[in-house]
Amino acid sequence: MSARRVAVTGLGMVSPLGATAQASFEALLAGRSGLRLHAPADAPKPLSVPAGVCAEFDPAAAFGRAKAGTLDRYSQLGITAGLAAWRDAGLEPAASEDRESWGIAWGTGVGGAMVFERGYRDLFIGGRERLPPLTVVQAMNNACASHLAIQLALGGSCATYSVACASAAMALGEAFRRVRSGAAPVMLAGGSEAPLAYGVIRAWLALQVLAPGDAESAPRASKPFLRERAGLVLAEGGGALVLEDWARAEQRGARIYAELCGYGESCDHGNLVRPSSEGQARALRAALADAAMAPQEVDYVNAHATGTREGDTVEIAALTDVLGAHAAQVAVSATKSAHGHTLGAAGALAAAFTVLGLREGVVPPTLGEAAELDPECAGVAHVTGSARRGVPLRAALTNAFAFGGTNAVLAFRAAD
Amino acid sequence: MLDTAPAYRYVQERLGVDVKTAAAATELASLGVDSLALLEMVFEIEERFGVKVDEDTPPPRSCGELVALIERLAATKP
Repeated sequence: MSARRVAVTGLGMVSPLGATAQASFEALLAGRSGLRLHAPADAPKPLSVPAGVCAEFDPAAAFGRAKAGTLDRYSQLGITAGLAAWRDAGLEPAASEDRESWGIAWGTGVGGAMVFERGYRDLFIGGRERLPPLTVVQAMNNACASHLAIQLALGGSCATYSVACASAAMALGEAFRRVRSGAAPVMLAGGSEAPLAYGVIRAWLALQVLAPGDAESAPRASKPFLRERAGLVLAEGGGALVLEDWARAEQRGARIYAELCGYGESCDHGNLVRPSSEGQARALRAALADAAMAPQEVDYVNAHATGTREGDTVEIAALTDVLGAHAAQVAVSATKSAHGHTLGAAGALAAAFTVLGLREGVVPPTLGEAAELDPECAGVAHVTGSARRGVPLRAALTNAFAFGGTNAVLAFRAAD
Repeated sequence: MLDTAPAYRYVQERLGVDVKTAAAATELASLGVDSLALLEMVFEIEERFGVKVDEDTPPPRSCGELVALIERLAATKP
């Protein structure tokens, strides 16, 4: 294994909790919910579901009206998060040095769903025969990554990973490997998702995995690990991390948030939607081995935990299997309780919140009270209600488990 | 007399610029209109005004030129 270490030197985010990574994290620590009842625009039939909406995000302000009109919302959210991470890392926006090996790894599940839906509406309902000329390049799943590569003059790998809910985690893992191997000194990695289109919501409803709720209950509709959990809450958002060769980051005096030190992946190879604790455990073990991290070193796990009946208990089974007797001491929380499930972006939000937690020595909570926890999710040290502060945090894991059976786990250590 | 309001309204909606009060010379590039955005806007103009923008039409460079192009196309619409 290479001796190179990988530093996280920049963070960017647009989430239902806030317009920046820090604002989102502070809202998370304060126990606020970013969820609300959402009715998609231009719906042919009435529809409203609990959802995480990036209400503070104004595309016209971020891009200008002309440019915003050429981008799907998933790209708008992702580009904003990516550029914020770049600025946060103290890197120049335009090429000031040779960036032919620098790259980007991005994740998205449904990509340009908004643009596709607009096109179908125009064709099938509006009766039009023509679509806007940029439909293809707006909707394609690599649009966001390509826009970022163009703006930041990144000449190396520019790849987009579409692995459902593991998309961004896998993008981060693959970017991590490129930096650690020496293939790229700097990688921008993350993911974005804008799934709150009428047709996408209808499709998720058909799968019967969405949590119900009305205007009053929507903010607390996402209940991972709780007895009353009834499904996931769809959300939009974007998150990005700048991954950088540690020595390079130190040399330029960059702020190092944390170290990304391991990545593990696996496939359940069993069922498209039913998760497997064995498959998840293999990814967890692979990440620990990759990071040369003993289970006893793990202080915190940012769980995948989406709030489905089966998924949350299977994840706890995988964690207790891999962490053994130490599991009972490991702080675990499900931040999706506050911001919902951003699908292909989820791994990036989890990574950013975990990195901030390691840096500030604080564990963000699962919204809810300890008394509400499901006994079937016991076996770990759940952090509920309010953030846990004042405990040493040395190492943490983030889980991302996708429909299709793909599992991706990232391992982080606090900066020296 | 030609009704110019629709052209003004389009520019106002699309770019957030009131050409009646702002400088007509405002460059489209300064409003973030690049070649891709212009491509999208040409499509919108064709759909909205029922006109055809020929491929050899010089691209408008300012808000005033954009309004003039829409007015000219609308006036000569078959």
